[in-house]
Amino acid sequence: MLLRQVHRTLTVALVGFCISGCVQAVPPDLLAALESIDQDLIALRAPETAPEEYGAFVRQWIALKSRVEFDDDVIRWPWETSELENELRGLYLRGERTVAQLHDRHASRQRTAQSKVESIEDRFHLMRSHVGSIEGRIVLGERVVQTDLLVKQARTFFEQKDYQRAIQVADEANQALVNQTSLLAQELGRYADGKRIASWQAMAQQAIDWSRTHQSPAIVVSKAERELTLYNNGRKVLSYPVRLGFNGIREKQFQGDGATPEGRYRVTDKRGPGQTQFYRALVLNYPNAEDRRRFDLAKKTGQIALGKGIGGLIEIHGVENEYAQQTLGCVMLDNPNMAALFERVSVGTPITIVGALTEQNAVALALSELAHHNRQEI
Amino acid sequence: MQSRVFPVLIALAIVITAGCTDPPTQQIQEAENALKEAQESGASTYSPDEYAKLEGTLDTIRKEVSEQDGKFALFRDYGKAQQLSLSAKSESERIKIATAQKKEEGKVAAMQAQQVAEEAVKAAQRLVAKAPVGKDRAAVEAIKNDVEGLQALLKQVQDSIDKQDYPAAQTQAKAIHDMSQGVQTEIQNALAKVGRGKPSRSSRQ
Repeated sequence: MLLRQVHRTLTVALVGFCISGCVQAVPPDLLAALESIDQDLIALRAPETAPEEYGAFVRQWIALKSRVEFDDDVIRWPWETSELENELRGLYLRGERTVAQLHDRHASRQRTAQSKVESIEDRFHLMRSHVGSIEGRIVLGERVVQTDLLVKQARTFFEQKDYQRAIQVADEANQALVNQTSLLAQELGRYADGKRIASWQAMAQQAIDWSRTHQSPAIVVSKAERELTLYNNGRKVLSYPVRLGFNGIREKQFQGDGATPEGRYRVTDKRGPGQTQFYRALVLNYPNAEDRRRFDLAKKTGQIALGKGIGGLIEIHGVENEYAQQTLGCVMLDNPNMAALFERVSVGTPITIVGALTEQNAVALALSELAHHNRQEI
Repeated sequence: MQSRVFPVLIALAIVITAGCTDPPTQQIQEAENALKEAQESGASTYSPDEYAKLEGTLDTIRKEVSEQDGKFALFRDYGKAQQLSLSAKSESERIKIATAQKKEEGKVAAMQAQQVAEEAVKAAQRLVAKAPVGKDRAAVEAIKNDVEGLQALLKQVQDSIDKQDYPAAQTQAKAIHDMSQGVQTEIQNALAKVGRGKPSRSSRQ
């Protein structure tokens, strides 16, 4: 009887031990942790930005998950090691490392994108400011808005946390700025060309010498300095700021280009009140023989379209509207200054218009600074 | 009698069992086709994580089939591969539909942004058309240049929509809209300064 009771107790204990000893092959919290790793990788945009790493993780994760779902070895004895659990733990550790690496990469990419976007915004504003200060906006044409679009796009992608595209678009904008600086240097490089400046200085000196020799007034206009100077008997009499054509910084090529011509001219007509809409005007003999020769050559070589005209009616005039900032190619003075000039010159007075009179002119400085910023960026 | 029947029954059981252990080739093919269709619909771009998981599932199916193929015929079991194939197929079909929906949403949003940008550029163009003629037009010449640039940029938005790059189309349209508004303000200021449409008596240059 006692022996039977002992047997029963032992049997119950053994069965109880066996049942309680059966454990799940994979702890649910391990599966939850791996799900969490997957979510972390998705949050880091790993499927898009690191498809290889994410693909490697996901292939293993799916394979192991299917084993958890389908395999029979989900129940094991406590003394048995679970190969599946070991593999899941291994994947978890690798997943954690991948998350850490991608997190670092993500943070680094964010810093790079931020730095590139901020840098391109600064450089674009600098370019606009320099181009505005030398009134060279027309020189760049539609390129300015194209670059503006890229700069704004880069900022939007950055705000959307799409750092990869933000970097890509910022790089495109950077290349556009480099190209525009080259274009400006190509179009306006003569303002930084020592030989050309020397030749302009010589032209101005000849006008001054003429004034001294003939005991007469002579006008010199420097486009880069935006300044008109009146000489009399070879001495500077007055100097006024001027406004030029909307494309005045360029060499005049044809009618309507908004450029202010450069060369040696004379006053052919003085127009007082009632004869001009611009307060007072001094009409120049543009186009002169040299302008015509240059225009014909440019047309022959195809630099100017056949239908274009050479233009005319270039004047030094006053202001019709006090807010007008630019002309279509003329030289404009404020009305009190125009009145003073008008009184001191006569028909036949020579007018020399040059690009610049100093090597440190505004255009040369702007080009130099833009090139410097480009070099720094590269 | 019993000794003769027993081997026959065993042989029959083997034949029946072996007959049930063919790999689910058709189901796998269907799952692969469904995934390919999902990929062609843009799932790898619009649902990259789900697409990667499906690729993982197909990979698991192939490995499972290969594993079962390596076993003795009596012990082969393609049930898991079959179930995974069915699940991959239905999941691929679901993702394909979800991708089409996401794409359509992206397209609609991009086209709305494009329309808003076009309106803003048109408004800027209308303002430029009101700009003065003759010498006074010089005041808005540079702005006019920018408006022409904005008009040209609208083509880029359409190009992005045509390429189904809707995020790019949206950012481009937003930038054009913002720039057009800036230009409108600039034109209005310029017009306020120079007056409107005053004809010039002398306009060569």
